[in-house]
Amino acid sequence: MPLDSSSYSLAQFSTQAAADGSSYLEMGQTKIICTVNGPQESKRGGGSRDQSNAARIETDISIAGFSGVDRKRHGRGDKRTQEMQHTVSSAFSSTLFTHLFPHSTIAIAIHVLSQDGSLLAACLNAATLALVDAGVPMSDYVVACTTGSTASYASNDEEADPLLDLNGLEEQELPFLTVGTSGGEDKVNVLIMETRVQMGRLEAMISVGLDGCKQIRGILDDIVREHGKKALNSRVN
Amino acid sequence: MAPYTNIPLSPAELSYLYTSLSQTPPIRPDGRAPTQFRPLVAETDILPSANGSARICFADGTEAIVGVKAEVEQSRVSGAATGQVESEGVLGLGTGGVGDVDMDEEDGDEEATRAGKGEEGWVEVAIEIPGMRDDDALPVFLSAMLTEALLADGELKDRLWINRRFHWRLYIDILLLSQPLSYPLPLLSLTTHLALLSTRIPALISEKDEDPLFNDDWEASRFLYPQSKTASGGHRKPPVTLLMLSVSENVIADPSREELAVADAVVAISVAPTTGLNAESAYKTVALRTVDPPSRLTGAGVPTALNTTAGGTSLSAAEALALREKDQGQTVWRPPRGGVKRAMIAKMIKMVTEKGGVGQEVLEGLAGVET
Repeated sequence: MPLDSSSYSLAQFSTQAAADGSSYLEMGQTKIICTVNGPQESKRGGGSRDQSNAARIETDISIAGFSGVDRKRHGRGDKRTQEMQHTVSSAFSSTLFTHLFPHSTIAIAIHVLSQDGSLLAACLNAATLALVDAGVPMSDYVVACTTGSTASYASNDEEADPLLDLNGLEEQELPFLTVGTSGGEDKVNVLIMETRVQMGRLEAMISVGLDGCKQIRGILDDIVREHGKKALNSRVN
Repeated sequence: MAPYTNIPLSPAELSYLYTSLSQTPPIRPDGRAPTQFRPLVAETDILPSANGSARICFADGTEAIVGVKAEVEQSRVSGAATGQVESEGVLGLGTGGVGDVDMDEEDGDEEATRAGKGEEGWVEVAIEIPGMRDDDALPVFLSAMLTEALLADGELKDRLWINRRFHWRLYIDILLLSQPLSYPLPLLSLTTHLALLSTRIPALISEKDEDPLFNDDWEASRFLYPQSKTASGGHRKPPVTLLMLSVSENVIADPSREELAVADAVVAISVAPTTGLNAESAYKTVALRTVDPPSRLTGAGVPTALNTTAGGTSLSAAEALALREKDQGQTVWRPPRGGVKRAMIAKMIKMVTEKGGVGQEVLEGLAGVET
């Protein structure tokens, strides 16, 4: 299933001067700003130095009150947000070369300005771009997308194709999963599903998801290379 | 109330900065004129899910996004509402339109029906600053200052009135996306100003005290701050809050982080265009607050006479204190003490509100921002 690349038309680099790395990503109506600070010495006070021999990845996701249809404040202790923060941190822990930066922290701050489905996937993609912008060494991009299954048990349409990259309405109606990979489709970093689906349909959904990730990787790669070319040209002139 | 305490400047650097800012004309570290604003990047109407939104990036890299959302809410029936003319209460129950005077034919009349019916609690400002809790002093103080300025003209809350049973509740969510490098009040205030200017509210099609029904055509929606001209020929606009600081006898607008570190006094002045007919000036001050300057937290320098490594003698504590007091910050840096003179405050207000002043420069600059 081809991915509608026009919905990725807006992905920008280095949007904010004050951060080490930053990105702005639109996936349909889901709009996200991500900033990365670090690797830097942990700011956590308390005297004792961070004795770890690898950098810690700290993710902070803030969902703006005006991001949804109704105005809703998401506190810092929100369980869903905390789980997403943990998922993003752990997704990057095996891809970033954290062992190069002992006693330090990489802080990823994600601001969700508008949400319309595929929130976790968009967070991961935006974080990848911001980390690239910050120049944090990594083995490959972490890219993610969602897939949903339209097949219903009653109509017995086993062959119904799974859907790729769901919007907010589709997410409410269909069982869906988020899959995040790095290194083409070789390695799955994230696989999250919070709805029920028949076991038989899972495999098709994952394989469509992996295919989608491959396409998103291409799109992100184009953006990075485009930005690199621009940066090089401005350096030469 | 200082957002940061670790000012990376030594007493010698602070003293140098203070002296150069006290010259006439003051010499600012970035070469600006005393009332000159730094350039900024702004855009409005950026979010589809909000009634109004804006984003501003300042030259120092700090960035803020504001989203305004309006929701219909049932009004609390209070004693004040029932205290009105009795016949109106009967009309409110839906017994008919006997003696009903059609008052909302024209815009001006509608304004009149709403006058004084708004409540201050209908406007809610929430500020999110990275690394700070919602109930930390800085966000709470900043949102109190911004709310105070917004409500000062008394018109905004009246415009949120729909009918006697319903009203709009305005949520203004302010996100500071970067670390607060300098005092973020002007940035947040300017962004809020732009977001409110772009805020639109669906047009009401139900009448009187019916359950409100709105036109679902967004094109027909109305601006929260009407685009029509006021009696004085200007536009209604939300206020902007600007920082002014004084260094000895000089007043400086739009201070940078380093300048704040040597300020004698910092004053936040909220300015809005006047709407009345017989106004002397096109701009007026709607709110004013003094801000505790971070310069109070800087460390004092050591006079040479006290510096034992530079040939000074070690004196007793009382003698050292006397020496420091006698020096009065003439030879070495001493954190400023005391308040600000009334004449100085008047000078600051004049610089903001006068024709061709800082307020006009900022408001006209922001009016030029396109969506």
